[in-house]
Amino acid sequence: MHKQLNELRDAFHKSTEEIQTLKDLEAIRVQYLGKKGRLTIALKGMGKLSPEERPTVGKLANVIRGEIEKTIQEKKEWLEEKKIDLEIQNEKLDITLPGRMPERGHRHPLNLVMSDLEKIFIGMGFSIAEGPEIEWSEYNFDHLNMPAEHASRDLQETFYYTEDIVLRTQTSPVQIRVMENNRPPLRIISPGRVYRSDEVDATHSPVFHQMEGLVIDQNITMSDLKGTLSLFAQKLFGDTVKTRFRPHQFYFTEPSAEMDVSCFKCGGTGCRVCGSGWIELLGCGMVHPNVLRHCDIDPNVFSGFAFGMGLERVAMTKYEINDLRLLFENDKRFLEQF
Amino acid sequence: MQVTFKWLKDYVEIDTTPEDLAERITMSGTCVETLEEVAPKVQGIVAGKIDTIEKHPEADKLWVCTVSVGKEKPITIITSATNVFADATVPVAVVGATIANGDTMTEVAFRGITSQGMFCSVEEMGLNTSLFSKEQIEGIYIFDEPLTPGTDIKSYMWGDDHILEVEITANRSDCQSIYGIAKEVSATLDTPICAPKLHPMGEAEGEIQNYLSVEIASKKCSRYHATMFRVKKIEPSPHWMQVRLLNAAVRPINNIVDVTNFVMLETGQPLHAFDYESLKSKKIVVREAGKDETVVTLDNKERALKPDMLMITNGTYPVAVAGIMGGANSEITKETELVLLESACFDKTSVRLTSQRLGLRSESSSRFEKGLYPNLVEQATARATELLLSIGACELIDGYIDVYPEKQQPVSIEVSAQWINDFIGIDISRKEMILYLKRLFIEVQTDPDNEDKMTVYPPDYRQDLEIREDIAEEVARLYGYNNIPNTIMGGTTLVGGKTRDQQLEELLTDVLIGSGYSETLTTSFTNLPHLVDLRLADEKDQVVQLLNPLGEDNSMMRNTLMAHQLEIIQTNYNHKNTRGRFFEIAMTYHHNDDPKGLPIEKERCVISAYDGIDFFGLKGLVERIFASLGIDGVEYKVGETALFHPYRNADIYIKDQCIGTLGEVHPIIVKNHRLPRRTYICELDCEMLYEAAQLEVRYIDLPRYPSSSRDIALVLDEGVPSGDVVKIIESHNNGMIESIDLFDVYVGDQIEKGKKSLAYSIVFRLPERTLTDEDIQGVMDSILKDLNEKLDAKLRD
Ligand SMILES: [Zn+2]
Repeated sequence: MHKQLNELRDAFHKSTEEIQTLKDLEAIRVQYLGKKGRLTIALKGMGKLSPEERPTVGKLANVIRGEIEKTIQEKKEWLEEKKIDLEIQNEKLDITLPGRMPERGHRHPLNLVMSDLEKIFIGMGFSIAEGPEIEWSEYNFDHLNMPAEHASRDLQETFYYTEDIVLRTQTSPVQIRVMENNRPPLRIISPGRVYRSDEVDATHSPVFHQMEGLVIDQNITMSDLKGTLSLFAQKLFGDTVKTRFRPHQFYFTEPSAEMDVSCFKCGGTGCRVCGSGWIELLGCGMVHPNVLRHCDIDPNVFSGFAFGMGLERVAMTKYEINDLRLLFENDKRFLEQF
Repeated sequence: MQVTFKWLKDYVEIDTTPEDLAERITMSGTCVETLEEVAPKVQGIVAGKIDTIEKHPEADKLWVCTVSVGKEKPITIITSATNVFADATVPVAVVGATIANGDTMTEVAFRGITSQGMFCSVEEMGLNTSLFSKEQIEGIYIFDEPLTPGTDIKSYMWGDDHILEVEITANRSDCQSIYGIAKEVSATLDTPICAPKLHPMGEAEGEIQNYLSVEIASKKCSRYHATMFRVKKIEPSPHWMQVRLLNAAVRPINNIVDVTNFVMLETGQPLHAFDYESLKSKKIVVREAGKDETVVTLDNKERALKPDMLMITNGTYPVAVAGIMGGANSEITKETELVLLESACFDKTSVRLTSQRLGLRSESSSRFEKGLYPNLVEQATARATELLLSIGACELIDGYIDVYPEKQQPVSIEVSAQWINDFIGIDISRKEMILYLKRLFIEVQTDPDNEDKMTVYPPDYRQDLEIREDIAEEVARLYGYNNIPNTIMGGTTLVGGKTRDQQLEELLTDVLIGSGYSETLTTSFTNLPHLVDLRLADEKDQVVQLLNPLGEDNSMMRNTLMAHQLEIIQTNYNHKNTRGRFFEIAMTYHHNDDPKGLPIEKERCVISAYDGIDFFGLKGLVERIFASLGIDGVEYKVGETALFHPYRNADIYIKDQCIGTLGEVHPIIVKNHRLPRRTYICELDCEMLYEAAQLEVRYIDLPRYPSSSRDIALVLDEGVPSGDVVKIIESHNNGMIESIDLFDVYVGDQIEKGKKSLAYSIVFRLPERTLTDEDIQGVMDSILKDLNEKLDAKLRD
């Protein structure tokens, strides 16, 4: 019986050596381990053995069964992996071919700039105030301390809806509305659309965008104005940017200034973008006492500063866009660059 | 305002370069926009005297000249110019010289004779041709006076000067003059200033009274000052004066007119010289124009006058438009013997409006428009008199006439030094402040008992100084804005941030960008006929029409964003761009029925698309928006927007409120406007959208019991909307129906004509137990019964 079993073992190992397919392997399994398999049949003959022989033969038979099962399992895994190895030979990719990007839209460069600025000022404790674009001329001019006969009120400069209603020429009327309806301390920015009667060309448009800001509190000084706006410039263009303030004139403020920033392209040495090394960024100043008084804020108790900048100009400088009309044309090839 | 460096140096000591000066006055408030050397390329052009001139032996149209240019030997110049002659003094670009266009001269042979340079025209010398007469700019320039051969022409014609273009702010009308800017230079550099020499005018009483009387009959003239001169000789003004004028871009005319222009540039006060005899009367009356009056101005154009325009008249008819331009009827000519010199102060608004309405601007009007002060009037007269006498043009007729009804009152301002320090954020002494103010000719009085107080007296030309803040600015700018420290605001800390609506707008933008749509930017203008053409408006609609639009195309404030979006699609389609996906969030403007109110502004969101999209693609995006904003219960009903395909559009409702519309653009509009065949647009009202938004999220337990689903395929009339089917199914939801999904729509051979098949998958679930078949069958039976009764729906076999 031992001999018979050992022959069976040898025969099994011999037959598995040549196996190349899972199908053949399965046939071998059935041949040895199936219901009518050789090992199964051999074991059925055990009943004829003497009680002394039975344990040793039984033990050997179990060892051989284990061996066969293990070999078949190993062989099976080897064959499966070999099959995969073969299959992946047909799955070669040219990984230098382009990927498929999920479609994504693009923000308009002007609004990109606007949201950059909003984020910076929100970080400094400002809120965003909004107001009507079609505005009382009183709010657009008089309350801003604009002289009654000033040229900017002319039909050639400002769009009128009625004698008393204009398309706002600046977002400053929003500041008046905020000051009328709220008490200091105030920190607001008012971004938005404004209108002036300019024909369209590479640097002008009758419709453009501004962002103005206003701070009113006790003990606000011109050095606070400088500090706040310089910090803003650094957050917008980077820590190394320098600012300078030049005296200027606005009706809304006194003293007034314009702020230049050192060119963020060339660092201030002068280049195609800036010319002189400086880029004019915004107008600013200490809120005029007449403006405060109109809003029932006592200029002897409170002071404040205001500033304003044209967003088209910032966007055009930042992205080196040389013609303002591109911003309003909305050619997809333009929009998708941002 | 154009200023020259050397002219400034006539009045103020400048111990630095033009570049440094430009930088420093810019930082003290006089912004220099450009600084240029005059004729930067021109070099080596010299005066030459033509000794001989002969025909070229080999060429008909050429002349051979021998020219003295200040060297040992005369040089030979070949020219084709026909206006040169022997003894003429002309500009010569000798070998090695560079002319205005950058060309450098070399020896050139013309048919066997070598030319050692060339004669120059006005343009070649780098001068502005518009400042010279036609005869002077055609051909070679010939000097009026003989010059020493070899004289450097750049220095002679230009004075080797630099030109600064200066921006003058609206409040500083006193800086519209060389002397005004010189005062700013003096304050900035802290160097001495020297005022232009004035003629002592003496007593008003004099011979002039025999010739003239002046009457002001309008509030628009605050002062009129007249002097008269007997002409000695009308001739070109002296060369030094012409150089100053040329560098200020003013054309020299004759000694008298040039003096008036020179004084205007120097002091800022426009002057006008009349030919006294041609006034044909002994008086000047300043009054507003009468009805139907006209005047021919110096530019030989007849101007129709409007009743409120201010005129200078001879008592009968106009002889000048006040502050803008003289009349041709009283112009100075070669025959003029008596000159009436006007120096007056006119109302700035009147001059501005008149100049605008006549379409006539001049150096004079642009100065009056900014506002001049009446005291300048007599200084300008005294200066002009000094010049007219000193250059030998005229003799003064004794006396003057000065009508000055309301004298300008001096201003004083009380200000505390401590307040200035606190307001600006600096800490300097009152003494230092006073030094700064004195540099600006602002007098300061102090009270010995009060260390802090200052009483400040601005000079008469500083009409911009009225309140303490103005004085703080003067101190701050001379202290130097950039010397003021940068500080961080103290006081109350504010949180800042965006409002709910502003946050929702940001979210809406993010959803659209994330879905592949790009943001556009359009103007707010449109016009009603265009909207009518797009079937977006009716001719009778009440809209926001502007009184003074830039052209009819831009006459209306848009009440829809869709028209501009179609233009964007048109542009992109025209540029052969594929897959257009656009959106914009902007305002629309609507007529307000309340006449006392402002027009109504609504924030809207417009979305448009073409190429690779259909109705449901855009509707899906709209659904994505609603889902992102937590809005449900949205209904879509076929709408009546005439822009759209009648069967492919929907009005969008939230709780019975229409919040927008979406659809495919009508094929006829597509054809007429050359749009892509399938163009889709949607417009939503943002305020309603934000109001309906529900962003608060609460977690709902994950289901513990399994769901069961039932699929039903229904056969219905083709016209029955799926929405109606879903509504009926939904009406049977007793808490068991979790979802209803349409998964197939079929029309075709397999079913009866005029019918369609809709297949739905209905998912049932209960949170507390597993559903039984009986539970579900009961609901299904009633659903099918209801569908059959209401919509004649049958189960498909
Ligand atoms: Zn640069």
